Amino acid sequence: MRVDIQSLGTYNRLAQEGAEHAAASLTQMTGIETYVDVTNVTLMSKRDVEDVFGGTTFVGVQIGLDGGLSGQTALAFDRGSAASIVDVLVPGATASEDDEFDDMAQSGLKEIGNIMMGGFVDGWADYLTTNVDMTPPTYVERDGTDVLPNGALERADEEHVFVFESQMTAVDEEIDAYIYMLPEYGAFAEMLEASDDHEDAIPMDKLTVFDEMTRQGAERAAQNVSSMTGIETDVDVSRLSFVPIEDVPNTARDEVYLGTVMEFKGTPGGYLAILFDEPSARTIVDATVPMELDEPLGDMGESAIEELGNIMTSGFIDGWANVLQTSIDHTPPELVHDMGTAILSPIAGRLGQSQEYAFLMDSAVVTPEGEFNCEIYAIPDERKLKEALDSLLVERRDELEADTESLF
Amino acid sequence: MPPQVLLVDDSDFMRNLLREILEENFEIVGEAENGVEAVELYREHDPDLVMMDIVMPIRDGIEATSEITGSDPDANVIMCTSVGQEEKMKNAVKAGADGYITKPFQKPNVLEAIDDVVA
Repeated sequence: MRVDIQSLGTYNRLAQEGAEHAAASLTQMTGIETYVDVTNVTLMSKRDVEDVFGGTTFVGVQIGLDGGLSGQTALAFDRGSAASIVDVLVPGATASEDDEFDDMAQSGLKEIGNIMMGGFVDGWADYLTTNVDMTPPTYVERDGTDVLPNGALERADEEHVFVFESQMTAVDEEIDAYIYMLPEYGAFAEMLEASDDHEDAIPMDKLTVFDEMTRQGAERAAQNVSSMTGIETDVDVSRLSFVPIEDVPNTARDEVYLGTVMEFKGTPGGYLAILFDEPSARTIVDATVPMELDEPLGDMGESAIEELGNIMTSGFIDGWANVLQTSIDHTPPELVHDMGTAILSPIAGRLGQSQEYAFLMDSAVVTPEGEFNCEIYAIPDERKLKEALDSLLVERRDELEADTESLF
Repeated sequence: MPPQVLLVDDSDFMRNLLREILEENFEIVGEAENGVEAVELYREHDPDLVMMDIVMPIRDGIEATSEITGSDPDANVIMCTSVGQEEKMKNAVKAGADGYITKPFQKPNVLEAIDDVVA
């Protein structure tokens, strides 16, 4: 099956507009001004969905969809954000961060969920010129993926699922809300299906293979960090998102990073950013450079970060090259030290000259003891990615490693 | 007299690491930050071994290796790179490289690869 990129863009835009309606409803009901930070549609393995949600307790509302659009949705708040909203919405209800929310608080959240999700879904129904039925809202307070409607992941036939995610943020307060929609895979895939000769179509099965190759690339990059630093690492999450190109910078956290940016050239081509928050960069440098350094990192410390970026980049893209039986060059690492949005903006600007949307592959490398975390953003040129997918032989999916010994 | 080695890598950090591994048993006769400097220093010192990075500014390590082995077929060059792509390795073989070490490396791997080439 081939996926029409234009259709994926259209549904992403519907989700963005739906989230804007939902945010407007939240503002209208609470007086708390909110805006939509970012909306993306992500193709994730079930394991990665669990990683994304893992370790967080959500308070929220689940609503099922049926009719022209079938699937599951959830409006989720962290507990503090939910308490702030209930304080405004239902004065007198018990909704502190520590106590269980009472019936009135839960009722208020269910109603706001109902109204917000109604706003989210209306645009889809209009576009599809059909009815989208919503189930009554169910209040939930759960950990991790359990905030998603019961069985949403188990019911998915495929190993991968589409997840629409919108993050809404309050202007003046510490309030974040998330809308998640998991359309039924088969039905949604049919909505995206393009004819075989469609110019912008991307083969779906190969996209999922490429997603898996990306996770394996992130795992190799993580192993390389471990080899250099002696610190055990793991890949926390790896996902392939489809986002409007102008939203790419907003996918980075609002934080200062030190790291490297490289352009990779070939099939696929694009950009790779490997970013550490400042304390993490210090930890990495202390673990790799056996000498006292100038503050903050000194030339040798910066050189270590550059070299680590170089080695992690190879770990990331070599598997693609070996499976595709091609070579992918990359530029020497460019050291960057700035806000995440400022680092990703020039990349989005360059790619935005020829594409409206980006396939963004973001991975997080973490350590069990929390010594450091690293974020990897791979943003391929859409045309080059399509060429790579067209030439990908699925049966070579495991041929990630080169056989050095047979050559030397 | 210990064998003479030329280190070629655009990273200070990596040259420093290689120097620490090698200086006990080898004489480091020069350090280059790109392929152009590597060729110049090779001609100047005629070392027994070159440890050559691939991804470097100005001229990459495969081009530099090709030029060095083109003028001195007996040159010993070990690619010492983060790149683990089979096509790149084939290009390195064509350029005349004698060995290939993938970063990140451990000291024993480096010494073993050198033994294989210069023993």
